[in-house]
Amino acid sequence: MSIEISGVTKRFGSFTALDNIHLDIPTGELVALLGPSGCGKTTLLRIIAGMESADAGHVKFAGEEATHLHARERKVGFVFQHYALFRHMTVFENVAFGLRVKPRAERPSETEIRRRVSELLKLVQLDWLAERYPSQLSGGQRQRIALARALAVEPKVLLLDEPFGALDTKVRKELRRWLRRLHDEMHISSVFVTHDQEEALEVADRVVVMNHGKIEQIGSPDEVYSNPASPFVYQFLGNVNVFHSRVHGDWAEIGREEAQTRDAGNVVAFVRPHDIEIENAPVAGGLESLVQEVHTIGPLVRVELAHGPELVEVELTRERAATLTLGKGQRVWLRPRQVKVFEASAWDLEDGGSGI
Amino acid sequence: MKRVLPGFGLSLGITLVYLGLLVLLPLSGLVFKSSALSFAQWWDIATGERALASLRVTFGASLLAATINAVFGLIVAWVLVRYSFPGKRLVDSLVDLPFALPTAVAGITLATLYAGNGWVGRYLEPLGIKVAFTPLGIVVALTFIGLPFVVRTLQPVIEDIEPEVEEAAATLGASRAQTFFRVLLPGIFPALLTGFTLAFSRAVGEYGSVIFIAGNMPLVSEITPLLIISKLEQYDIVGATALALLMLIISFLLLLGVNALQWWAAHRHHRLNGGAL
Repeated sequence: MSIEISGVTKRFGSFTALDNIHLDIPTGELVALLGPSGCGKTTLLRIIAGMESADAGHVKFAGEEATHLHARERKVGFVFQHYALFRHMTVFENVAFGLRVKPRAERPSETEIRRRVSELLKLVQLDWLAERYPSQLSGGQRQRIALARALAVEPKVLLLDEPFGALDTKVRKELRRWLRRLHDEMHISSVFVTHDQEEALEVADRVVVMNHGKIEQIGSPDEVYSNPASPFVYQFLGNVNVFHSRVHGDWAEIGREEAQTRDAGNVVAFVRPHDIEIENAPVAGGLESLVQEVHTIGPLVRVELAHGPELVEVELTRERAATLTLGKGQRVWLRPRQVKVFEASAWDLEDGGSGI
Repeated sequence: MKRVLPGFGLSLGITLVYLGLLVLLPLSGLVFKSSALSFAQWWDIATGERALASLRVTFGASLLAATINAVFGLIVAWVLVRYSFPGKRLVDSLVDLPFALPTAVAGITLATLYAGNGWVGRYLEPLGIKVAFTPLGIVVALTFIGLPFVVRTLQPVIEDIEPEVEEAAATLGASRAQTFFRVLLPGIFPALLTGFTLAFSRAVGEYGSVIFIAGNMPLVSEITPLLIISKLEQYDIVGATALALLMLIISFLLLLGVNALQWWAAHRHHRLNGGAL
């Protein structure tokens, strides 16, 4: 079922949580709402679910007006960050809840309920826990039960609010792949909220990047990562080095093609740490720097360099770092592989300055 | 065996001595005193017409008052936890007033209010409802003194329920009533029983406020504590202790029953094998 959001605005007192949001989510898509905390992503999700009402604007499901429908009439599945399982019920009863509260005429028979619930528990691979209580489960298991519970009523839309936020890294990675598979099998539209860019980029068909109650960019994970629409998106989707053309005259040479089209004195260049090459010998337009720190982090080597008073961060592969034999205080030259140039005015001073 | 948490022996000793001095010693004195009677004599006093009537009034009114408090105390506690409104702190502190007010003052005030010419009584009288100086008045007084027990017991438990649980129930299609009876009440129920028990126990032992509003007519609106006092005033100490012992036994049995119910409420899910709730 498709979801259309038009002109949705929500204020809490003087704070504008959502400012005239327009968003279309086509049937069958898995969409991530990505942004820092307080950007309005959870509020938007809660408005779609009917737990919060918008001050203005409309929400439509499959073209049908749903703005004023109560949460229980929207037939959406909702998964909470902290699971919100019913403590006094067994896992089985938790999953069966949505079926048991149906009006008598629609309620499946007891055998049918048993069949459906055990099917769902098999789907989330936890059928052996049916008689346990939520307090006896691990976080990852609880969230899978919460998901099974939400799917029991066969929702057309699945909404997940930071579903893996309370879990540790390993479980989180496992669960998000599993969510992707599940989404593809169930043929539903899913929207999940996250502040973790890696999670959004890995799982979603489309990523909606939000900031300060507004949508900054909508696009495929590849699009938003490699072609960010604003400095905010660029910066939010990964580590970044910021260079001001006024300060880094040499550097502007390298981003030349792009920079030329703009007012050369008033642009900022964004370069990801892994898009910078380190050379031992001077190169044309290379930025002369001193090595400050070298950290080996798993397969990566992170090098902190000083260009005058500015700090530049570079990520290299282990192999490349080995051929360079970098040491503290060593003089090197930096060459960017990829630069993204924005007008300086788009780069809010309070957000940045230079560096990472 | 060495314990990780120190002080078990000492604190258990203090606990036992304290409870022994405060609770067991007076109670055993009571039992000792009433043992001057043979069982047949004791049974005669216990099953006397006036004694039985007073027991009916005492326990009946207490049960009724505790039940009323369980229902309305739950609502009060819910409102105080879940909603914010101007004057909430004031309302919250009002709940404690029955704890602090001397019971005699409460009794006199209630009697004045509910008397035929009182602020409330004058509107009830034409409807044929007499409150002051009837058993109904006793229920009113006992409800008044029991309220804080229910509210204060429930508040922390309600605070513990995440609002998300209600939202989850709503997205799963549950109506408000279904959410309340299937999701919220089962979680609150053990605490509600505790609050009920406390209010009930307090009501059974209440004396001060009741005697002012009850009218104290033998066989109609006379509570057992009053009967005990009047026996004492006639220097019938053995008779008074006999009645006291009787109250003690009944109270003990009732509390035991409520505790069993509480245990059942806390453990019943272990007996349910995923069946209907």
